[in-house]
Amino acid sequence: MKVRDIELTANEFTGSLSERDDRPSLPGDFAIWIFIFAEMLAFGVLFITFAFARAGDVEMYNASQQTLNQTAGLINTILLITSSYFVACAVAAISSGNARHCANWLTGAVMLGGCFVAVKIFEFSEKIDSGISLSTNSFYMFYLSLTFFHLMHVLMGMVILGFIIVKARRGGYSRKQHTGVETGASFWHMVDLLWIILFPLVYIMH
Amino acid sequence: MKTSYRKTHLTSFAVWVALIMLTLLTYRIGETSRAGSYAMPSLLVISLVKGQLIANYFMGLRSVSWGWRLVMPLYFLLVGGFIALAYLNSLI
Repeated sequence: MKVRDIELTANEFTGSLSERDDRPSLPGDFAIWIFIFAEMLAFGVLFITFAFARAGDVEMYNASQQTLNQTAGLINTILLITSSYFVACAVAAISSGNARHCANWLTGAVMLGGCFVAVKIFEFSEKIDSGISLSTNSFYMFYLSLTFFHLMHVLMGMVILGFIIVKARRGGYSRKQHTGVETGASFWHMVDLLWIILFPLVYIMH
Repeated sequence: MKTSYRKTHLTSFAVWVALIMLTLLTYRIGETSRAGSYAMPSLLVISLVKGQLIANYFMGLRSVSWGWRLVMPLYFLLVGGFIALAYLNSLI
């Protein structure tokens, strides 16, 4: 087969693909999706490692888990889910051309993120006061590192949303051009998705 | 445009309510059954459902091509499957 024939075949193939599926691509910048999938993969490996490490010493893991503040975990789950809802409303607002509403929803989401951070700091301080550290046992090593790693993502998400709020208030987004809002929103929802697994795995499942 | 905006808001609100209910159910399962081996599959299924709700309705993946849509459920099934395997392994 000649090069020209291969090119023609490739064009026919891509043409038939676009005919078959003309749905829009992923929301936001595609680069953020590479980052999202990489982060989810990294957390996924940690979740699975936690589960298999637990199988090695179930009693110790269950006893350590009992010392966690499940109510704080529940409050944080509600805070993250609600903030994700606010971010979804922000995307809906800018999609209809309402930049002011978009900025307001995002401000609400960042405030809820701040509440999440406050609850997490309270939880960490409780554990540090009890003399618990990374070296206490492998359960606390996983608990502290997983939740701290996740907390860093919450803080990063708050910074990203902060920049988007400023740009939205300055009229930097419109009904037709709001890729930045969708990109930031996708990152924030990923932070929520990770917590959806982390909460039952670390706080609830015995 | 306003109708579409309102409709999106209503859908997002309904999804938020469902997510809160599922979260409270997760917490309740943890409280009542001490989340033992019987609770583990239900907790993983709840996580899968919550993940799908967030991915499809909040992230907006329900309107993208099937290839991308499949990534999230596959992720939850894969990670959840390994977690289930590890928990079952600890029972043997």
